[in-house]
Amino acid sequence: MSYAYLFKYIIIGDTGVGKSCLLLQFTDKRFQPVHDLTIGVEFGARMITIDGKQIKLQIWDTAGQEAFRSITRSYYRGAAGALLVYDITRRDTFNHLTTWLEDARQHSNSNMVIMLIGNKSDLESRREVKKEEGEVFAREHGLIFMETSAKTAANVEEAFINTAKEIYEKIQEGVFDINNEANGIKIGPQHSPTSPSSPSGGPGSSPGSGCC
Amino acid sequence: MISRFKNALLNAVGSPVQDSSNASTVSGRGGGSSSSQSTSSSSSAVPHSYSTPHLNGNSETSLTNKNARLQQPQHHGSSDYSGGANGYQERVKRYEYGRPHFLQLSSPDEIAVTADHIVRPIIVPRDLTHLPWETGYAETINSGKSKVNEDQARMHAGFVKLEIEDGESEIKEVKIPYFYFGVFDGHAGPGAAVAAAARLHLIIEDKLTEVGCHLCQEGPLCDFSLKQSKGKGVMWFPHTNITKDSLIVGALESAFYEMDELIREENLKYDGVNGGCTAVVCLFILGKVFIANAGDSRSILCYRDLEPVPLSNDFTPESERARIRLLAAQNPHLLGMDFTSNEYLRRPVKRDLGSKILYRAAHMTGWAYKTATVEDLKFPVVFGHGKRSRVLATIGVTRGFGDHELYAHSTAIKIKPFLTSQPEVKILDLVEDSLLEDAVIVMGTDGLWDVTSNQTVSRIIFNTLDQFPQLDTGRYKYRYVSAAQDLVMYARGKFQDRNWKMNDGSAATIDDISVFVIPLGPYYRDAVAQESLTSISLNSLPNTSLVSDNGSCSADSEIQSRSGNEVNANVLASNTSATNNNGVSSSSSFNNHNTDNVLNGDADPSVEIVSEAIDLDMDEPNH
Repeated sequence: MSYAYLFKYIIIGDTGVGKSCLLLQFTDKRFQPVHDLTIGVEFGARMITIDGKQIKLQIWDTAGQEAFRSITRSYYRGAAGALLVYDITRRDTFNHLTTWLEDARQHSNSNMVIMLIGNKSDLESRREVKKEEGEVFAREHGLIFMETSAKTAANVEEAFINTAKEIYEKIQEGVFDINNEANGIKIGPQHSPTSPSSPSGGPGSSPGSGCC
Repeated sequence: MISRFKNALLNAVGSPVQDSSNASTVSGRGGGSSSSQSTSSSSSAVPHSYSTPHLNGNSETSLTNKNARLQQPQHHGSSDYSGGANGYQERVKRYEYGRPHFLQLSSPDEIAVTADHIVRPIIVPRDLTHLPWETGYAETINSGKSKVNEDQARMHAGFVKLEIEDGESEIKEVKIPYFYFGVFDGHAGPGAAVAAAARLHLIIEDKLTEVGCHLCQEGPLCDFSLKQSKGKGVMWFPHTNITKDSLIVGALESAFYEMDELIREENLKYDGVNGGCTAVVCLFILGKVFIANAGDSRSILCYRDLEPVPLSNDFTPESERARIRLLAAQNPHLLGMDFTSNEYLRRPVKRDLGSKILYRAAHMTGWAYKTATVEDLKFPVVFGHGKRSRVLATIGVTRGFGDHELYAHSTAIKIKPFLTSQPEVKILDLVEDSLLEDAVIVMGTDGLWDVTSNQTVSRIIFNTLDQFPQLDTGRYKYRYVSAAQDLVMYARGKFQDRNWKMNDGSAATIDDISVFVIPLGPYYRDAVAQESLTSISLNSLPNTSLVSDNGSCSADSEIQSRSGNEVNANVLASNTSATNNNGVSSSSSFNNHNTDNVLNGDADPSVEIVSEAIDLDMDEPNH
């Protein structure tokens, strides 16, 4: 499917805050309560519409564990947007935000849009971090902020889409050099490549290429 | 819209392109998540119970006719030619490009992410149940030298299936389980590597099946020879040399040759079976590992507290200088007008004509003087040193598959005659070796080895493994994947100041990198614990072993070189002797069994004898 732009996102934050679940909710619209550890990088994609334009989000979901931190750092490069996630029921994940943010600022391009996400908003009874605290942190560091629940899907769409809107606005303002793919933005192919590699539907067409 | 690693359709890499009538098969297999869940509970390392159906990938589904797949490789692709009804035959793709099947990446989106040259993501298997023993794997793409990752890898867990006549003329089925790991480093396009990943294991299995009756034969193979002698009066077989090992070595060697031929044929008929590739294969069978290598990928054995041991030698213009120059000297027509088999200390130029220059011809190892003539201005057939050495100024690797249509740069001189698909096969006897519990085999393409010494690889692996204590149940199973990931991370380095750099600031590799980290413990324990590796009980083996001339299975026969390069057996011997004392007794039944198969270090001539014997066996059925 053709798109006007492709935006590359990265999801970062401590282990267990729900990064993979947010991605799964956004791409698959489902919640998986028990999720395996992410050891490398996972990936999801979805098309959204902004300002009447088709935009493809290519999302890289990284490992949160300390042991994989240096590998995670190498994925900041070439991301246009980042979702920095903490768990509202675990204060330590909030306390680590500064470290994550320093990492992100240091290894990404300076225009990367960062969305701060307080996840697990459905677990109000176990809340350890007030919503206001998230708002204050976001304001101080120039981030957008939302609380989400990967379980109930509350605000998940909005988190991904609002980030995209912000990136889109920056493109309109000419902040991003969209010709440099290292900025995490790719201009879509001019013509709709429905099936670039084979005659459509004919013999020999690849069974794997019908996706997306 | 949605493509996730985990839920993607299983579309094994290199699966032959299917016509539409096969498409339903593919989508029917699409329940990647459900099938993987069902197997995750039974991720036992026992070969017998290791479930294989979902591992086989599509290629097997479409290649069920075993004979057809070898003799008529194009059989199921015939409908691909439907476009050629009017005499115009469009060349169609033979194989679909993809990433290794156990990564379960199938959609173009996912493939595109793996090919991100800016980030060079390190891709690891998400679902470990697609590899045995929690084996680790990781890969990354080059920094832009080719559009796609030209490395390929393959794992296959299968059986050599046989029907054997019992004493009372009952037919019983025997299955010999095996595990196969292959790494292929492609060049000049991904085609040959994709083909090798899709087909080589199938060819090897066929070759093993042909000699399967001897592999599961109880006792030594002299029965085989005796039978021959009876029927044919062939008395001269030195039957003590026809070992099970030599039959497996022969299966690997003949399969490598056939794989190369297959690529040659398919390249003529189909689109995209182009380029060439190296191949290194580890075959786990009958309690041993057979390591077959053709090219400059490498396989090493890493012990926790000992020096790593090479399980393969790199075949490069540098290491094969002698073979190539001799070939060139004996076949000067292969050099055209542009190349010489001589080597010069310094390449002569026009003003050297008539003066003395130091040279060596193909028949020399030392240097001598000669008077330079016009002939000496030709380009040496092997030129350059180390990684920059080239054959015919073109190719930097001298063994592997493909390159049938490769010409020396801007000439009509074919490269292929100087290349060979012949692997060097080494044998690692796990039971004899009583390997340490956490020894691992590392297989990788030169992207890793170019910038990482064997010692460094070993150090990184055990550093990583130490960070995954057994008590940490959530993470423990990822230890080998993490080790593979760390190896790739080390060799790929980080992007700094417009270059990929290693931690110490030196240049990292800009090549594709692919690495397996295979633990030996599970297979070793199975080999010892199980009463038999085949469904035939080996306990009942008579103790009439074909003990080799030296009378015992000393450690220095554990790894043997099969095709002429230096043998590292001594290295291994010194390394393993420390471990050989414990554990031998605990595996007595296998000792009996395996001593039958130990080859002598000088066993090279036996290869020819063995293949002769097989030919006779095939052509002339026993009476």
